[in-house]
Parts: sequence; C-alpha cells; structure tokens
Amino acid sequence: MKDIVCMSGVELLMEYLEGALATDVRAAIEAHVAGCPRCDAFIASYLETPRIVRDATRMEMPADLEASLLSALRRAMHRHDG
Amino acid sequence: MTVGAAELSDELLAARAATGDDAAFETLVVRYQHRVFRLACRLVSETDAPDIMQDAFLQVYRHIATFRGGAQFSTWLYRIVTNAGLMHRRARARRPAESLDELLPRFDADGRLEDAPDALRAASRVDELLDRQVLAKKAQAAIEGLPDLYRDAFVLRDLEELSTADVAQVLGVEPATVRQRVHRARLMVRAYLGELAGGRP
Repeated sequence: MKDIVCMSGVELLMEYLEGALATDVRAAIEAHVAGCPRCDAFIASYLETPRIVRDATRMEMPADLEASLLSALRRAMHRHDG
Repeated sequence: MTVGAAELSDELLAARAATGDDAAFETLVVRYQHRVFRLACRLVSETDAPDIMQDAFLQVYRHIATFRGGAQFSTWLYRIVTNAGLMHRRARARRPAESLDELLPRFDADGRLEDAPDALRAASRVDELLDRQVLAKKAQAAIEGLPDLYRDAFVLRDLEELSTADVAQVLGVEPATVRQRVHRARLMVRAYLGELAGGRP
C-alpha cells in the first residue's frame, strides 16, 4: 500500500468510518492522520457536521397539525372507500 | 388479556390495515407522524411538510395491500415520504437560495489539504458562534442547497440516523452508493458551515 496523502484519505473517509476498507488501506490512513494536523482538524469537523445540522433542524410537529392531519386523512379515506 | 393496538408491531398493524381496519392504519399514523413531520421538514420545508405528510400517509393507506410483511414497515414508509418530497421539489423546480455543489475541500498539487488546521476545524465551532435561530435557518439552507440525490442520502443517514443498509433500502441503491452520496453531501455541508464560522473549506 502506497503512502496516503490528505486527498486520498479524505476521499476514503466515509468508507473508513463505516469499516468498508481493507486492512492495509485502513492502516495507511491511520498512519497518515497520526502525523497530519490538517487531516486531524478536517476529520473533527467532518464528524461534527451531522450533529450540528441535526440539532439545528430538529422540528417539533405542532399540536394542531396532529388533529388536522387526522381529519384530512379521514375525509380522504372516506372518499377513497366510497 | 387484550393487547392494545398501541402495543402491536408495525407489521401487524399494516397487515390489519390491509384488510380494511382503519383504526390500525390510524395507529400507524399516530405512531409515525412526528418522525414523518421532522423528515418532511428536512426533505422540503416546514411550510410544505404538512402537504407531504398528508400525501405520503394517503399513499400508505391506498397501497398498504402491496406492502409485503418481511420488509420493515418503517423502511417502506420512509421510501414513500422521500419520493413524495422529491416529487414536490421537482414540481417546484425552484433554484435554492444557495447552491453547495461547488463547496469542496481544497488540495494543493501534492494532494495536501491547503488550509491551516484552525480554518479546517472552523465548521465544528459554528454552533458556538451563531445565534440558534440564525443557525437553524442556515442549516436548512445548507440542506436545500444540496443536489437532490445527496440531499436524500444526507437527510436519511446523517439527520434521521438510519443505518446505511436501511438508507440503501429506502433509496433502492447499494450501500456503497449511499456512503458516496452521504460523503459528498457532508463535504459540502461541512465547507458551508466552515465558511459561516469564518473559516474556509
């Protein structure tokens, strides 16, 4: 396995995180990241990104929508049945 | 002892709904409405989420007989909601306020990340720097700025936290394709957040 540079490591990052890479490729990535502060910083932000967007877009369903959804569905169900 | 409908499995309720048991169908609606609402907000918008929900649950009602036990009801439902969201976005065909598809990390000629560690790390600080409401708007804009295929994969995998295998089932693609789409989406969103935090991609 050739030495990994940042670019190839970044390209394989998701495969790495999901355990989809061969052992020698994994090891090469780990060896690179251990000596690369840029990749270390990059990975930290790559890992944080989903959490930040998830927390910022966690919408609660309004209570009045529960009632209106069910009554709209019931009207449509009766049309469908009829 | 009688088992209340609320304790029955999704698949059993779906089987009952398929025989015309409307109460079973409504139990499924109540069970999933919050998750479907949240998903619809992320797939379209908060404004359009009620329409998507109604549309998706009606499709479930009409096609429940085609749902095969064996599969997970939730996967089937998520597929219907995701398709409803995609149809809706295509019907609108509106350009997003900001497009993210050019936002990728930069490398030098040797394949090294160009920016300094502090700039590369900037995205992880954005929630400390921005006001909550501003961040909520920007996060929604980031999702909307993703290309369609990436958006669905990112929403299902990274935001709804389905497993890669489940997302593959919902989207009808291979797990490797899901990983690739989520990866591309995450690179773009990360770069976008990094810019918001004053760093660079």
